[in-house]
Amino acid sequence: MAKIISLVFSNHYYVVASCSIFILMTLGLLIISEYVFLEPYVTGHVQQGTEIGFVLIFILSGLSSLVIPMNIYRIKSLNLSKRKVGGSVFGSFVGSIAGACSCGPIGFAVISTFGSVGATASAFLTNFEIPIRIGAIIILLITYYTTIRSLRIECKLNF
Amino acid sequence: MKKILIFAGVVAAAIMSIAASLSTSSENIDLDMDRTHGTISTAMGSSILGSPIAPITIIEFGDYQCHQCYNWFHNTKPAIFENYVDTGRVNFIFVDMAFLGRDSPKAAQASYCAEDQGKYWEYHDLLYLSQEPQIDNGWANPERLKAFAFNLGLDMELFENCLDSGKYSKRVQFNIDEAKKHGINGTPGFFIVGPDGQQKISGAQPYSVFKLVLDSMI
Repeated sequence: MAKIISLVFSNHYYVVASCSIFILMTLGLLIISEYVFLEPYVTGHVQQGTEIGFVLIFILSGLSSLVIPMNIYRIKSLNLSKRKVGGSVFGSFVGSIAGACSCGPIGFAVISTFGSVGATASAFLTNFEIPIRIGAIIILLITYYTTIRSLRIECKLNF
Repeated sequence: MKKILIFAGVVAAAIMSIAASLSTSSENIDLDMDRTHGTISTAMGSSILGSPIAPITIIEFGDYQCHQCYNWFHNTKPAIFENYVDTGRVNFIFVDMAFLGRDSPKAAQASYCAEDQGKYWEYHDLLYLSQEPQIDNGWANPERLKAFAFNLGLDMELFENCLDSGKYSKRVQFNIDEAKKHGINGTPGFFIVGPDGQQKISGAQPYSVFKLVLDSMI
Protein backbone atom coordinates (compact mmCIF):
# COMPACT_ATOMS: atom_id res chain seq x y z
CA MET A 1 0.00 0.00 0.00
CA ALA A 2 2.78 2.43 0.97
CA LYS A 3 4.68 1.55 -2.20
CA ILE A 4 1.67 2.32 -4.38
CA ILE A 5 1.20 5.66 -2.64
CA SER A 6 4.88 6.50 -3.07
CA LEU A 7 4.64 5.40 -6.72
CA VAL A 8 1.78 7.80 -7.39
CA PHE A 9 3.19 10.70 -5.41
CA SER A 10 6.73 10.34 -6.76
CA ASN A 11 5.42 12.59 -9.53
CA HIS A 12 5.30 16.18 -8.27
CA TYR A 13 2.17 16.86 -10.33
CA TYR A 14 0.17 14.57 -8.05
CA VAL A 15 1.69 16.08 -4.90
CA VAL A 16 0.65 19.55 -6.05
CA ALA A 17 -2.80 18.26 -7.01
CA SER A 18 -3.20 16.57 -3.64
CA CYS A 19 -2.11 19.64 -1.66
CA SER A 20 -4.36 21.90 -3.75
CA ILE A 21 -7.38 19.64 -3.23
CA PHE A 22 -6.73 19.45 0.51
CA ILE A 23 -6.25 23.19 1.01
CA LEU A 24 -9.13 24.29 -1.21
CA MET A 25 -11.56 21.71 0.11
CA THR A 26 -10.67 22.26 3.77
CA LEU A 27 -10.83 26.03 3.48
CA GLY A 28 -14.02 25.95 1.41
CA LEU A 29 -15.79 23.60 3.79
CA LEU A 30 -14.61 25.53 6.86
CA ILE A 31 -16.00 28.74 5.36
CA ILE A 32 -19.37 27.39 4.21
CA SER A 33 -19.81 25.48 7.46
CA GLU A 34 -19.05 28.71 9.35
CA TYR A 35 -15.90 27.63 11.15
CA VAL A 36 -13.92 30.34 9.39
CA PHE A 37 -15.16 33.87 8.70
CA LEU A 38 -13.56 36.34 6.33
CA GLU A 39 -15.51 39.47 7.26
CA PRO A 40 -15.25 41.85 9.05
CA TYR A 41 -12.09 40.14 10.31
CA VAL A 42 -10.50 36.85 9.30
CA THR A 43 -11.30 34.62 12.23
CA GLY A 44 -11.72 30.96 13.07
CA HIS A 45 -14.11 29.59 15.63
CA VAL A 46 -15.32 26.12 16.61
CA GLN A 47 -18.64 26.49 18.39
CA GLN A 48 -19.38 24.24 21.32
CA GLY A 49 -21.23 21.19 19.99
CA THR A 50 -19.84 21.43 16.46
CA GLU A 51 -16.52 19.67 17.08
CA ILE A 52 -17.51 16.44 15.26
CA GLY A 53 -18.38 18.34 12.08
CA PHE A 54 -15.03 20.15 12.31
CA VAL A 55 -13.05 16.90 12.55
CA LEU A 56 -15.06 15.27 9.72
CA ILE A 57 -14.14 18.14 7.37
CA PHE A 58 -10.43 17.35 7.82
CA ILE A 59 -10.97 13.61 7.36
CA LEU A 60 -13.07 14.21 4.24
CA SER A 61 -10.58 16.65 2.75
CA GLY A 62 -7.64 14.38 3.61
CA LEU A 63 -9.22 11.35 1.97
CA SER A 64 -10.30 13.34 -1.09
CA SER A 65 -6.79 14.72 -1.52
CA LEU A 66 -5.45 11.17 -1.40
CA VAL A 67 -8.04 9.34 -3.50
CA ILE A 68 -8.70 11.84 -6.31
CA PRO A 69 -5.00 12.15 -7.42
CA MET A 70 -4.62 8.36 -7.24
CA ASN A 71 -7.60 7.93 -9.54
CA ILE A 72 -6.28 10.57 -11.92
CA TYR A 73 -2.97 8.66 -11.96
CA ARG A 74 -4.87 5.47 -12.75
CA ILE A 75 -6.70 7.10 -15.66
CA LYS A 76 -3.63 8.82 -17.10
CA SER A 77 -1.20 5.95 -16.66
CA LEU A 78 -3.47 3.15 -17.72
CA ASN A 79 -5.65 5.02 -20.23
CA LEU A 80 -8.82 4.04 -18.42
CA SER A 81 -12.24 5.58 -18.78
CA LYS A 82 -12.76 8.85 -16.92
CA ARG A 83 -15.73 7.21 -15.23
CA LYS A 84 -13.24 5.40 -13.01
CA VAL A 85 -12.71 8.60 -11.06
CA GLY A 86 -16.43 8.73 -10.26
CA GLY A 87 -16.35 7.21 -6.76
CA SER A 88 -13.80 9.64 -5.41
CA VAL A 89 -15.47 12.72 -6.90
CA PHE A 90 -18.91 11.51 -5.83
CA GLY A 91 -17.75 10.90 -2.26
CA SER A 92 -16.10 14.30 -2.08
CA PHE A 93 -19.14 16.04 -3.56
CA VAL A 94 -21.65 14.36 -1.26
CA GLY A 95 -19.54 15.14 1.77
CA SER A 96 -19.17 18.76 0.72
CA ILE A 97 -22.83 19.57 0.10
CA ALA A 98 -23.91 18.01 3.40
CA GLY A 99 -22.81 20.93 5.50
CA ALA A 100 -23.32 23.60 2.91
CA CYS A 101 -27.09 23.75 2.88
CA SER A 102 -27.97 25.03 6.32
CA CYS A 103 -28.59 28.51 7.63
CA GLY A 104 -25.80 29.99 5.52
CA PRO A 105 -25.74 31.70 2.12
CA ILE A 106 -25.80 28.45 0.11
CA GLY A 107 -28.85 27.15 1.96
CA PHE A 108 -30.50 30.54 1.53
CA ALA A 109 -29.75 30.55 -2.21
CA VAL A 110 -31.11 27.01 -2.63
CA ILE A 111 -34.31 27.84 -0.74
CA SER A 112 -34.76 31.17 -2.54
CA THR A 113 -34.27 29.54 -5.94
CA PHE A 114 -36.20 26.29 -5.53
CA GLY A 115 -38.85 27.28 -2.96
CA SER A 116 -40.38 24.50 -0.89
CA VAL A 117 -38.49 21.79 -2.80
CA GLY A 118 -35.24 23.58 -2.02
CA ALA A 119 -36.27 23.99 1.61
CA THR A 120 -37.00 20.27 1.90
CA ALA A 121 -33.68 19.34 0.29
CA SER A 122 -31.80 21.86 2.41
CA ALA A 123 -33.51 20.62 5.59
CA PHE A 124 -32.59 17.02 4.71
CA LEU A 125 -28.94 17.90 4.08
CA THR A 126 -28.81 19.90 7.31
CA ASN A 127 -30.62 17.36 9.46
CA PHE A 128 -28.40 14.53 8.30
CA GLU A 129 -25.16 16.48 7.90
CA ILE A 130 -23.05 14.23 10.13
CA PRO A 131 -24.41 10.87 8.82
CA ILE A 132 -24.04 12.10 5.22
CA ARG A 133 -20.43 13.17 5.84
CA ILE A 134 -19.70 9.81 7.48
CA GLY A 135 -21.32 8.12 4.46
CA ALA A 136 -19.12 10.16 2.13
CA ILE A 137 -16.04 9.15 4.12
CA ILE A 138 -17.06 5.48 3.81
CA ILE A 139 -17.47 5.94 0.03
CA LEU A 140 -14.00 7.47 -0.14
CA LEU A 141 -12.51 4.66 1.96
CA ILE A 142 -14.07 2.06 -0.33
CA THR A 143 -12.80 3.98 -3.36
CA TYR A 144 -9.36 4.17 -1.78
CA TYR A 145 -9.34 0.43 -1.19
CA THR A 146 -10.54 -0.41 -4.71
CA THR A 147 -8.03 2.05 -6.22
CA ILE A 148 -5.12 0.47 -4.35
CA ARG A 149 -6.32 -2.98 -5.37
CA SER A 150 -6.79 -1.93 -8.95
CA LEU A 151 -3.35 -0.28 -9.18
CA ARG A 152 -1.75 -3.36 -7.63
CA ILE A 153 -3.34 -5.59 -10.25
CA GLU A 154 -3.17 -3.28 -13.25
CA CYS A 155 0.42 -2.24 -12.61
CA LYS A 156 1.27 -5.84 -11.86
CA LEU A 157 2.91 -4.89 -8.63
CA ASN A 158 3.35 -7.77 -6.29
CA PHE A 159 3.87 -6.46 -2.83
CA MET B 1 -91.47 52.33 13.35
CA LYS B 2 -90.92 48.73 14.43
CA LYS B 3 -89.51 47.89 11.02
CA ILE B 4 -87.11 50.81 11.24
CA LEU B 5 -85.96 49.70 14.69
CA ILE B 6 -85.47 46.10 13.51
CA PHE B 7 -83.54 47.33 10.45
CA ALA B 8 -81.41 49.61 12.63
CA GLY B 9 -80.74 46.71 14.99
CA VAL B 10 -79.66 44.44 12.14
CA VAL B 11 -77.37 47.14 10.74
CA ALA B 12 -75.88 47.80 14.19
CA ALA B 13 -75.31 44.07 14.71
CA ALA B 14 -73.65 43.81 11.30
CA ILE B 15 -71.36 46.77 12.03
CA MET B 16 -70.43 45.33 15.42
CA SER B 17 -69.63 41.91 13.95
CA ILE B 18 -67.49 43.48 11.21
CA ALA B 19 -65.69 45.61 13.81
CA ALA B 20 -65.11 42.54 15.97
CA SER B 21 -63.69 40.54 13.07
CA LEU B 22 -61.42 43.43 12.09
CA SER B 23 -60.15 43.81 15.63
CA THR B 24 -59.06 40.16 15.72
CA SER B 25 -57.30 40.27 12.37
CA SER B 26 -55.35 43.48 12.94
CA GLU B 27 -52.49 44.11 15.29
CA ASN B 28 -53.45 45.86 18.48
CA ILE B 29 -50.08 46.53 20.01
CA ASP B 30 -48.23 49.80 19.91
CA LEU B 31 -45.82 49.71 17.00
CA ASP B 32 -43.59 52.64 16.24
CA MET B 33 -43.88 52.45 12.48
CA ASP B 34 -41.10 54.98 12.01
CA ARG B 35 -38.54 53.11 14.11
CA THR B 36 -35.34 52.72 12.16
CA HIS B 37 -31.76 51.92 13.10
CA GLY B 38 -29.29 53.05 10.50
CA THR B 39 -30.85 52.17 7.18
CA ILE B 40 -32.91 49.34 8.64
CA SER B 41 -36.56 49.52 9.56
CA THR B 42 -36.93 47.68 12.85
CA ALA B 43 -40.55 48.77 13.29
CA MET B 44 -41.89 45.25 12.86
CA GLY B 45 -39.12 43.54 14.81
CA SER B 46 -38.94 42.89 18.51
CA SER B 47 -39.07 45.52 21.19
CA ILE B 48 -35.71 46.97 22.24
CA LEU B 49 -33.90 44.88 24.81
CA GLY B 50 -31.58 46.94 27.01
CA SER B 51 -31.33 50.68 27.38
CA PRO B 52 -33.38 52.48 24.72
CA ILE B 53 -30.88 55.36 24.81
CA ALA B 54 -27.80 53.17 24.32
CA PRO B 55 -25.65 54.62 21.50
CA ILE B 56 -25.21 51.27 19.75
CA THR B 57 -27.81 48.76 18.59
CA ILE B 58 -27.25 45.15 17.63
CA ILE B 59 -29.88 43.92 15.19
CA GLU B 60 -30.02 40.17 14.82
CA PHE B 61 -31.77 38.62 11.84
CA GLY B 62 -32.57 35.08 12.88
CA ASP B 63 -34.65 31.97 12.39
CA TYR B 64 -35.87 29.93 15.33
CA GLN B 65 -34.99 26.70 13.52
CA CYS B 66 -31.45 27.76 12.60
CA HIS B 67 -28.83 25.76 14.49
CA GLN B 68 -26.19 28.48 14.02
CA CYS B 69 -28.60 30.94 15.67
CA TYR B 70 -28.92 28.42 18.48
CA ASN B 71 -25.12 28.26 18.75
CA TRP B 72 -24.84 32.04 18.83
CA PHE B 73 -27.64 32.31 21.38
CA HIS B 74 -25.86 29.89 23.72
CA ASN B 75 -22.19 30.65 23.07
CA THR B 76 -21.82 34.32 22.13
CA LYS B 77 -24.91 36.23 23.20
CA PRO B 78 -24.45 35.79 26.98
CA ALA B 79 -21.02 37.47 26.94
CA ILE B 80 -22.29 40.34 24.78
CA PHE B 81 -25.19 40.91 27.14
CA GLU B 82 -23.01 40.71 30.23
CA ASN B 83 -20.44 43.21 28.94
CA TYR B 84 -22.42 45.55 26.72
CA VAL B 85 -26.21 45.29 26.99
CA ASP B 86 -26.53 44.93 30.76
CA THR B 87 -24.10 47.82 31.22
CA GLY B 88 -26.29 50.11 29.10
CA ARG B 89 -23.78 50.64 26.31
CA VAL B 90 -25.62 48.59 23.69
CA ASN B 91 -29.19 47.52 23.07
CA PHE B 92 -30.54 44.60 21.08
CA ILE B 93 -33.33 43.97 18.59
CA PHE B 94 -34.36 40.66 17.01
CA VAL B 95 -35.81 40.71 13.50
CA ASP B 96 -37.19 37.56 11.90
CA MET B 97 -35.57 35.99 8.89
CA ALA B 98 -37.79 32.93 8.96
CA PHE B 99 -36.83 30.98 5.83
CA LEU B 100 -35.52 27.57 6.81
CA GLY B 101 -38.69 25.47 6.90
CA ARG B 102 -42.46 25.47 7.11
CA ASP B 103 -42.43 25.82 10.90
CA SER B 104 -40.08 28.83 10.90
CA PRO B 105 -42.62 31.56 10.01
CA LYS B 106 -45.15 30.08 12.43
CA ALA B 107 -42.60 30.15 15.25
CA ALA B 108 -41.83 33.79 14.48
CA GLN B 109 -45.54 34.63 14.48
CA ALA B 110 -45.96 32.83 17.80
CA SER B 111 -43.31 35.08 19.37
CA TYR B 112 -45.45 38.13 18.52
CA CYS B 113 -48.55 36.40 19.86
CA ALA B 114 -46.59 36.07 23.10
CA GLU B 115 -45.66 39.75 22.81
CA ASP B 116 -49.37 40.58 22.87
CA GLN B 117 -49.33 39.24 26.40
CA GLY B 118 -46.06 40.92 27.36
CA LYS B 119 -43.86 37.84 27.09
CA TYR B 120 -42.00 38.22 23.81
CA TRP B 121 -38.50 37.79 25.18
CA GLU B 122 -39.48 34.91 27.48
CA TYR B 123 -41.01 33.13 24.49
CA HIS B 124 -38.05 33.99 22.25
CA ASP B 125 -35.62 32.54 24.80
CA LEU B 126 -37.80 29.47 25.33
CA LEU B 127 -37.76 28.72 21.59
CA TYR B 128 -33.96 28.86 21.47
CA LEU B 129 -33.67 26.82 24.64
CA SER B 130 -36.05 24.20 23.20
CA GLN B 131 -34.65 24.05 19.66
CA GLU B 132 -33.98 20.54 18.38
CA PRO B 133 -31.23 19.83 15.83
CA GLN B 134 -33.54 18.83 13.00
CA ILE B 135 -35.48 21.33 10.90
CA ASP B 136 -39.24 20.76 10.60
CA ASN B 137 -39.17 17.62 12.73
CA GLY B 138 -42.16 18.89 14.68
CA TRP B 139 -40.45 20.61 17.59
CA ALA B 140 -41.81 23.97 16.40
CA ASN B 141 -45.12 22.86 14.91
CA PRO B 142 -48.26 24.78 15.97
CA GLU B 143 -49.09 22.28 18.73
CA ARG B 144 -45.64 22.59 20.29
CA LEU B 145 -45.74 26.38 19.91
CA LYS B 146 -48.99 26.36 21.88
CA ALA B 147 -47.43 24.07 24.47
CA PHE B 148 -44.57 26.56 24.92
CA ALA B 149 -47.14 29.31 25.45
CA PHE B 150 -48.93 27.17 28.01
CA ASN B 151 -45.64 26.60 29.86
CA LEU B 152 -45.16 30.37 30.10
CA GLY B 153 -48.63 30.76 31.60
CA LEU B 154 -50.07 32.72 28.67
CA ASP B 155 -53.81 33.08 28.12
CA MET B 156 -54.27 30.14 25.78
CA GLU B 157 -57.48 31.31 24.17
CA LEU B 158 -55.87 34.59 23.13
CA PHE B 159 -52.68 32.89 22.03
CA GLU B 160 -54.43 30.19 19.98
CA ASN B 161 -56.69 32.72 18.29
CA CYS B 162 -53.66 34.81 17.44
CA LEU B 163 -51.58 31.92 16.10
CA ASP B 164 -54.36 30.14 14.21
CA SER B 165 -55.59 33.33 12.54
CA GLY B 166 -52.14 34.14 11.18
CA LYS B 167 -52.43 37.56 12.78
CA TYR B 168 -48.74 38.34 12.47
CA SER B 169 -47.96 36.67 9.16
CA LYS B 170 -47.57 40.02 7.37
CA ARG B 171 -45.35 41.34 10.16
CA VAL B 172 -43.01 38.38 9.81
CA GLN B 173 -43.03 38.69 6.02
CA PHE B 174 -42.16 42.38 6.33
CA ASN B 175 -39.16 41.45 8.48
CA ILE B 176 -38.01 38.82 5.99
CA ASP B 177 -38.27 41.38 3.18
CA GLU B 178 -36.32 43.90 5.26
CA ALA B 179 -33.57 41.33 5.82
CA LYS B 180 -33.35 40.53 2.10
CA LYS B 181 -33.34 44.22 1.26
CA HIS B 182 -30.23 44.65 3.38
CA GLY B 183 -28.35 41.73 1.88
CA ILE B 184 -28.86 39.27 4.71
CA ASN B 185 -28.40 35.91 2.98
CA GLY B 186 -28.15 33.57 5.93
CA THR B 187 -28.86 33.37 9.61
CA PRO B 188 -27.84 34.64 12.00
CA GLY B 189 -26.99 37.94 10.36
CA PHE B 190 -26.23 41.08 12.29
CA PHE B 191 -26.03 44.79 11.85
CA ILE B 192 -24.22 46.77 14.51
CA VAL B 193 -25.56 50.28 14.25
CA GLY B 194 -23.54 53.00 15.94
CA PRO B 195 -23.49 56.79 15.91
CA ASP B 196 -21.14 56.88 12.93
CA GLY B 197 -22.44 54.08 10.77
CA GLN B 198 -23.31 50.43 10.64
CA GLN B 199 -21.32 47.22 10.31
CA LYS B 200 -22.67 43.95 8.97
CA ILE B 201 -21.59 40.66 10.56
CA SER B 202 -22.61 37.44 8.83
CA GLY B 203 -22.91 34.16 10.70
CA ALA B 204 -22.53 32.99 14.26
CA GLN B 205 -19.22 34.74 14.79
CA PRO B 206 -17.42 34.58 18.12
CA TYR B 207 -17.57 37.13 20.91
CA SER B 208 -14.11 38.44 20.02
CA VAL B 209 -15.39 39.75 16.67
CA PHE B 210 -18.38 41.51 18.25
CA LYS B 211 -16.05 42.97 20.90
CA LEU B 212 -13.74 44.41 18.25
CA VAL B 213 -16.62 45.96 16.31
CA LEU B 214 -18.43 47.29 19.39
CA ASP B 215 -15.27 48.73 20.95
CA SER B 216 -14.44 50.51 17.71
CA MET B 217 -17.85 52.22 17.83
CA ILE B 218 -17.89 53.23 21.50
